[in-house]
Amino acid sequence: MTDPLLTSLLAAVEAAPADVPLRLHVAELLLARGRGPEALHHCSTALGQAPGDPAALALLQRVTAALARPDVNPDTRPLPVVPKTPPTAPFPVRSLPEPTADDPATFDWAHAEDQVADISPEPAFVSGDPVTEEVEQAVRPDVRLADVGGMEQVKERLELSFLGPMRNPEMARAFGKGLGGGLLLYGPPGCGKTFLARAVAGELGASFTEIGISDVLDMWTGSSEKNLSAIFAAARRKAPHVLFFDEVDALGQKRSHLTHSSSLRNTVNTLLAEMDSLSGRNDGVYVLGATNHPWDVDSALRRPGRFDRMLLVLPPDEGARAAILRHHLEKRPVEGIDLGKLVKATEHFSGADLTHVCDTAAERALADSMRTGQVRPLTMKDLQAALKEVQPSTGPWFATARNVALFANQDGTYDDLAAYLKKNRRL
Amino acid sequence: MTTPFELALRAEQLGRIGRIPDAERAAREAVALEPQDPRLLGTLSSTLLLAKRYDEGLAAAEAACASGPELERSHRLRALHLSMLGRHAEAVQAGYASVSIAPEEPAAAHGYAKVLQRAGRAVDAVQVARRVVELDPDSAAAHLLLADCASDLKDKAHRELARAEYEATLRIDPENAAAKHDLALLDARSRRPAQALAGLIQAGRLDPTMPEVMRTVVVVLWQLSWRLRMWLFVATLFTLGASLSSATGARVSAGIVLLLTAGLVWWTVRDLPRQTWPVVSRAVRTDRPLTLTYAALALCLLLYLGALASGFGVMVTGVWIVLIALGWLALGVRAFRR
Repeated sequence: MTDPLLTSLLAAVEAAPADVPLRLHVAELLLARGRGPEALHHCSTALGQAPGDPAALALLQRVTAALARPDVNPDTRPLPVVPKTPPTAPFPVRSLPEPTADDPATFDWAHAEDQVADISPEPAFVSGDPVTEEVEQAVRPDVRLADVGGMEQVKERLELSFLGPMRNPEMARAFGKGLGGGLLLYGPPGCGKTFLARAVAGELGASFTEIGISDVLDMWTGSSEKNLSAIFAAARRKAPHVLFFDEVDALGQKRSHLTHSSSLRNTVNTLLAEMDSLSGRNDGVYVLGATNHPWDVDSALRRPGRFDRMLLVLPPDEGARAAILRHHLEKRPVEGIDLGKLVKATEHFSGADLTHVCDTAAERALADSMRTGQVRPLTMKDLQAALKEVQPSTGPWFATARNVALFANQDGTYDDLAAYLKKNRRL
Repeated sequence: MTTPFELALRAEQLGRIGRIPDAERAAREAVALEPQDPRLLGTLSSTLLLAKRYDEGLAAAEAACASGPELERSHRLRALHLSMLGRHAEAVQAGYASVSIAPEEPAAAHGYAKVLQRAGRAVDAVQVARRVVELDPDSAAAHLLLADCASDLKDKAHRELARAEYEATLRIDPENAAAKHDLALLDARSRRPAQALAGLIQAGRLDPTMPEVMRTVVVVLWQLSWRLRMWLFVATLFTLGASLSSATGARVSAGIVLLLTAGLVWWTVRDLPRQTWPVVSRAVRTDRPLTLTYAALALCLLLYLGALASGFGVMVTGVWIVLIALGWLALGVRAFRR
């Protein structure tokens, strides 16, 4: 049987879909006429338009209760009183009436959850996106800058150029320093850029996601751009959040190198558009990048609002080398280790090289122990033998870096690098 | 599950952004799923070409040719690997096979021209490279190929063609560091060291990772040192002649030589950017014989200063001794480096 009042009201809702009170009134009428699912639909739409609306929330509870007990005639139940004025408390749910016997608050949720505990629902019509999920589930790293051994200069520069302004936004603004823009960490491979990025996230109190090229690049045209946009959208929802792009030279390669790949060029364009913090869209999203080849990064990525700050992360200094060596040796049986001597002998070694030295020395001691059947502690002799086998891997990087400092430093971008090379007589 | 075709696409994409180990991994996974597919074998071979592992790449290309002899790419890759391994006769045959299968395919002609060039058949290479430009006139790579092939020929017409093609490359792709470098090299060969140096600085700025740039700077500096040596040799004759008459004659001739030397140096370097000097200084320090040569040339100028101050013209005979020693050094370096 048709209800002329309801029909005309539904037509009115269709004509004015943003009218929340009207929609709630229609939902009430639908509920009263036993058309619970339709009432629920209108109620949800109203809540979507006015989240936290107390009347809508109260009606939603009634509708869901009615749907849970379809045998009860909704007409026989008293309507709860809807407050006329909006409550002042931040959470409107608190202003709802006390639960009654008919109220869904009395529903045994724990029992219901037990019943469905073994069901893991799959989202319908949505293909799983592991990277976006990773961003959504990212947590704040426990690491802080204080946990980074040595590298005092790098930490100081990080503090001055990036963390300080973020912590003192008013002061930074007073000095005309914008808070937008990202930070590009560059330097030879294996020198702790990723660890530093984590520490920055820890200092900022932000969750952290590391994005590799495989998380973004997709062979299908348009998919890489879509992946990038989804990552940034997820990071904005998760703000404050640190997005760390490892090997950013691959994703943000000079577009002039990509003349034969429009798809890759579009990926760079998308990265440029998403990173543009001058639009204010990325408030609370800190973008960090790491690369061994900053000279291969498209120059547009280094403009204001994008990676406008660059930080050189050099091979570990003496303090850092001591910390790294101590870390790798402390859980191994050792005897007579002269850490100072080792530190001196490992200049220009990257963190990864130091790990390699310790592993090689440990392998020697282990092999000897297995031969004799007795545990022989790792000694300086093992480490010195390992040092003869392992050469610092940073040499080729510095060979290229020297050319960069000579040819491509007309704007002073690589002044830090040039100063380091000069200091070490490599320029 | 990822299909072999998707993996191959991924490998090609990773190769394009220079992630060669990842590209190789993806290509190998693809081949493991479909070991007889010539396209997948071709992808693996092309990745190995990027990785400069020509033996393995040749094996993959030969397997691709065996599985699908009708595919042009397999033959082209085989030709390129053979060429890189120095097996030029076989490489040319394979390259010819690839252009026979796809005569309208610019990539096939490009590969064939490269193979001919590496085989030392410069005239044929130029002919094929012209065809590449005809097939793909908007491609910077096509013009660069023709320019490189033409620059291998020493005659004026081909040098002009090379220059025009390098310029065409740079018009299409102004950031093409290789074209900039090769044009500078052409300038150096055409005895235009100042232009060559300026071009090299620009090439280095566009792609600082190119190791050739510094090597070519060293070559240009050797050229400049040769010019200076020749000038001083002639000037010394003049000074000795003038100093026979009187001390004043020695002073005047030494002064003229020093002034003309300064003028020549200024004329040569007047248009060079400021950034050239650290590069030149670095290049001179990198190459020990070059360091010695420039130190010796500085000593020659000091001898001239001495003649100017003392009027003792015979002093400049020391310049000849130095120049003869430098000549022997240059000959030794040349023989050794060849």
